Amino acid sequence: MTNSIHEIADARVLFVIGSNTMEQHPMIGMQMRDAVDRGVTLIVADPRRTQIADFAHIHLRHRSGTDVALLMSIMNVIINEGLVDVDFVRRRTENFDSFEEKLRRYPPQLVEEITGVKAGDIRRVARIYAMEKRSMIYYAMGITQHVTGVDNVRACANLVMLTGHIGLPMSGINPLRGQNNVQGACDMGALPNVYSGYQTVTNPRARRKFQRVWGKRLPQRAGLTVMDMMDRAYEGKLKAMYVMGENPLLSDPDLEHVKEAAGRLDFLVVQDIFQNETTAYADVVLPAAAFAEKDGTYTNTERRVQLIRKAVEPQGEARADWEIICDLSTRMGYEMSYRGTYEIMEEIALLTPSYGGTLHYRLEEGFGLQWPCTSREHPGTPYLHRRAFAKGLGTFITIEYLPPDEPPDEEYPFLLTTGRLYFLYHTGTMCRRTVVLNREEPECFVEINPEDAESLSIRNKSLVEISSRRGSVKVRTLITRRTPKGTIFIPFHFREVAVNLLTNPAVDPVAKIPEYKVCAVRIKPLTRQKTRKRKAPKVDLEDLRIT
Amino acid sequence: MKNSWILDKNHLSYWLRQLRKDRELIGPLRRYNHDIVFRTVEEIHEIALDCPASLPSPKEFLFPQYERMLRAGDLSSGRRVQDLRTERPRVIFGVRACDVSAVMLLDRFFLDNSKDPYYDSRRRNTLFVSVVCNNPDPTCFCAGLQTGPYLERGFDIQLTDLGDRYFVQADSREGIRTISATGFLFNRPKKSDYDDQYEVFLSAKAHFQKIISLDGPRQAILLGRVHDEFWQGVTDRCFECGGCVYECPLCTCFTVTDRSYEDGTERIRLWDTCLFKGFTRMAGGVLPNENRILRTKRWYYHKLIHYPDLLGSFGCVGCGRCTITCPGKIDMATIATKIKGLSLNGDLG
Amino acid sequence: MKAPRKKKSGGNIYLPFPGRVEKIFKKTGDVNLYRVQMTKPVSYSPGQFFMVSLWGVGEVPISIASLQERKDTIEFCIRKAGFVTGAIHSLKEGETLWLRGPYGNGFSTDSVLGRDVVVVAGGIGIVPLRPIIQWFIKKRTDVKSVTLLYGSRTPDDVVFTDEVEEWRKGGIKVVVTVDRGRSGWTGNVGLVTTLWHEARINYKESVAFICGPEIMIRAAMQDLFFFGMPDESIVTTLEAHMKCGIGKCGHCYASEKYVCTDGPVFTFKEIKEFALLEGYNT
Repeated sequence: MTNSIHEIADARVLFVIGSNTMEQHPMIGMQMRDAVDRGVTLIVADPRRTQIADFAHIHLRHRSGTDVALLMSIMNVIINEGLVDVDFVRRRTENFDSFEEKLRRYPPQLVEEITGVKAGDIRRVARIYAMEKRSMIYYAMGITQHVTGVDNVRACANLVMLTGHIGLPMSGINPLRGQNNVQGACDMGALPNVYSGYQTVTNPRARRKFQRVWGKRLPQRAGLTVMDMMDRAYEGKLKAMYVMGENPLLSDPDLEHVKEAAGRLDFLVVQDIFQNETTAYADVVLPAAAFAEKDGTYTNTERRVQLIRKAVEPQGEARADWEIICDLSTRMGYEMSYRGTYEIMEEIALLTPSYGGTLHYRLEEGFGLQWPCTSREHPGTPYLHRRAFAKGLGTFITIEYLPPDEPPDEEYPFLLTTGRLYFLYHTGTMCRRTVVLNREEPECFVEINPEDAESLSIRNKSLVEISSRRGSVKVRTLITRRTPKGTIFIPFHFREVAVNLLTNPAVDPVAKIPEYKVCAVRIKPLTRQKTRKRKAPKVDLEDLRIT
Repeated sequence: MKNSWILDKNHLSYWLRQLRKDRELIGPLRRYNHDIVFRTVEEIHEIALDCPASLPSPKEFLFPQYERMLRAGDLSSGRRVQDLRTERPRVIFGVRACDVSAVMLLDRFFLDNSKDPYYDSRRRNTLFVSVVCNNPDPTCFCAGLQTGPYLERGFDIQLTDLGDRYFVQADSREGIRTISATGFLFNRPKKSDYDDQYEVFLSAKAHFQKIISLDGPRQAILLGRVHDEFWQGVTDRCFECGGCVYECPLCTCFTVTDRSYEDGTERIRLWDTCLFKGFTRMAGGVLPNENRILRTKRWYYHKLIHYPDLLGSFGCVGCGRCTITCPGKIDMATIATKIKGLSLNGDLG
Repeated sequence: MKAPRKKKSGGNIYLPFPGRVEKIFKKTGDVNLYRVQMTKPVSYSPGQFFMVSLWGVGEVPISIASLQERKDTIEFCIRKAGFVTGAIHSLKEGETLWLRGPYGNGFSTDSVLGRDVVVVAGGIGIVPLRPIIQWFIKKRTDVKSVTLLYGSRTPDDVVFTDEVEEWRKGGIKVVVTVDRGRSGWTGNVGLVTTLWHEARINYKESVAFICGPEIMIRAAMQDLFFFGMPDESIVTTLEAHMKCGIGKCGHCYASEKYVCTDGPVFTFKEIKEFALLEGYNT
């Protein structure tokens, strides 16, 4: 996030796109709810009517995958109605003119056909967002898990630069990160192309710095992304893999391909706290300590580095991840040992400018520090880009709308979108072992719109078979108007309905993130369906709009 | 008044050390960024009596979050099922009047009509030494419910802080016996001590910014003046996080499950909450309480209407923990105030 | 100075005792009758239930399915509906079930002396009513007429087809009906609530016992009330998710009533007053 979470309380407009905030980030969602109660305008853009959309002032139900068109059209209206922050554009950005050229191709009337959102609504949203100074954008996987994921985010970036809603409090572009330390993991360079602090591996100065401190020659090229790894493993070119705290055999797209790929590896090591689908394929399983069994820090979505402390001893032979890695490294010939996680943080502070001052002793009291925190006296940074962007001027990146990789067609007429539920987390390694959480959602279901159900003669809670070009699953239906016509939704937490057997491994060319949110499927009812004439219509209380 | 004494504050730690000789001493300590929690006391000087409401409530010592009930080893060899009840004697020092009132109600819930054996064995071996709240928190509302800031009866031992000394009262056999066992530490109170104690009671009561009573909301609900639209508004703000239930000293729902290990199976019970839809799930996937408004209403109705009918008091002691915890601001104090405030303007809805 | 250590007082209500599965009778595709030999003598009455468990699997409430003949034998009729009942179905004769109980209030048999009785059973709802049917046969002269209206979904779902004749011989008028017939079925087809005329009783002075799917219970109760039966004479037994059986865990609780201790037998009057069934919400 460029800004901080508490700023929601003082914002005037919240524009939430591709985020099921109430269910996936409940504390942030509740702050948004409080803000709405106090008069803040909430705009939600999501094909599904999620819980946060229930109390939004405007809900844009655009077709899955059409985010670029929608955002470009909003920017088109902003330019045409003279709502651009001309001063900001002039002083702090470049490439505006060729960008403006491109925008002319996205007038609201045309975009209405692409996205399914009325032109009038697009104009309203554009005006509300642009005219109010304290407007914040929030996004999550809903816009990133597409083949145009990077373009979707670029569109958001263009939007904040166009309106000058960046570099100020109560503004900015704010991705809501999911796992509690995904931000921290990225910050530490657990990515194939960067060292910690996003210093690229191809930058000779950065490489030399790390080489000097670590005392070893480092590769000159970026490594493989997860999707590349699976492809190479499938081709037999990748021989071994070391997986830590991830369950690709349930969470990666196109599971048949992944299973085959994992089977073709010569050697698979998995480090995790419990057995799961991936440990079943492992040659060696290294038991890791869980969150309450180790010290360290987590960095959350608002860049806040917070200390965590060990509360209980690890069970059996489990050890903290860092201890296992140090041990392995030492045995492989590169000595790695630390007296504690605070020593690791000292090394991080040495090598990572933005973490220069986030040493453990500074994190003991209070609620942590927000990076960039460049020195031991630096108080942390609540919002970014106050004077300049990281590279100086912000660039308007010209983007084009591209349709999803596998839109519905004659043979597979429905659009499958995947996502998460409130009570379960990802592949359920932890939550499906918890009595009360598992009891809340013991079974998978597929959300189908009532009109689609009617046309296929499918009843509620009946078994259907959903198939795509890659596989098929059997699952029970849940008929609800929350999912739009032509689209179905299946959560991916359940191994018995592994929806990633169906999903499309097509990736964004830059980030290599798979398109989990769109693929084409067909539906086949499995039990004999009788559409009985009901006497009184059953009212789905979820559909009643609460005023 | 008999069964009253004075204890010099300088003698408090000595007394606690005597108590610790044959009971485990549990008291309020500051941990984790200054929250107050009840833990086994290692260093007596660490006991923090200044902030009233601990978070969580000491119900976990009588009704733990995770309780091992039974163990079945290798039954084929004729071995019996083991009963895992514990009976370690304990003294819980520094609880407040609200928590003691809650324990009195929990006693009635768990021990009347069918004794719950696990609660029973813990309760019989626990002595509560409560302390009167001189400075109630802004979130406390025990005064309106007569569950605090001090109690007239029903406690084991109650201490009132009179500055340099404590006014000590005992109202149970075990309490009286405990005091007499260390009788040499205590003196008879003088008349001025009684007066001082009364002063403290009055000033503590005066601290409450508003008196929240639950009779008004209860009446409003019974007269049908609180419509479903109001409850829907409450439901919309409910996270289904269960925070209120886990913190409330009077919430007692639990679930029982079996955990199998290599050498046997344990039957355990865990805290549960009626706010989850799976709470009433029946075989075959039937969900009687799928609609969230039913569950939200149940929590309030149980505490405001049914608890008084079944056990004679409200299911709320005004401790304010739900107010501190609830992220959606739909705790008992807020809702009671809303119902009362709006019902002054006619029907709610 | 030593604080007295209070000894464990009394028994532990949560401690189950074993029962050996003596015989298993397969009744329908997913329903089995288990005759269980209990390791200690226990008295139980119709309408009550036991908490039945298997170690490592779980514990569920199961209605008593027979009238007590011997002090240490009991019958349970269990449908394979979930995780625990599924595990019970994979037991073989000679294996052990673990029991706690009996719990619940049971049917009041005083209320039927000298009166007409109509018993309405839907599907698996016949199971908790079987003990009271057996009681009616045993005490045939203490009641006036007894009519059993027994509905099931299909002929294959009729649980006690083999005992129906025995009941007729015992003096009960039994009318069996199914929702959907098939070739070879000569009995009634139609919902059980269409058979009131078969009972032919004076509603004002009769007693009704109903059990079945909730929707059937509601329909039957409303019909009988409409015919003039006082709401205290219309009796049903409800089911709920239970974990303790003694009114502590809260799972079976609905507006002031615990199905395990205040029930599972309730009168229509209580159902209305406490909104224990959907449709009668507070």
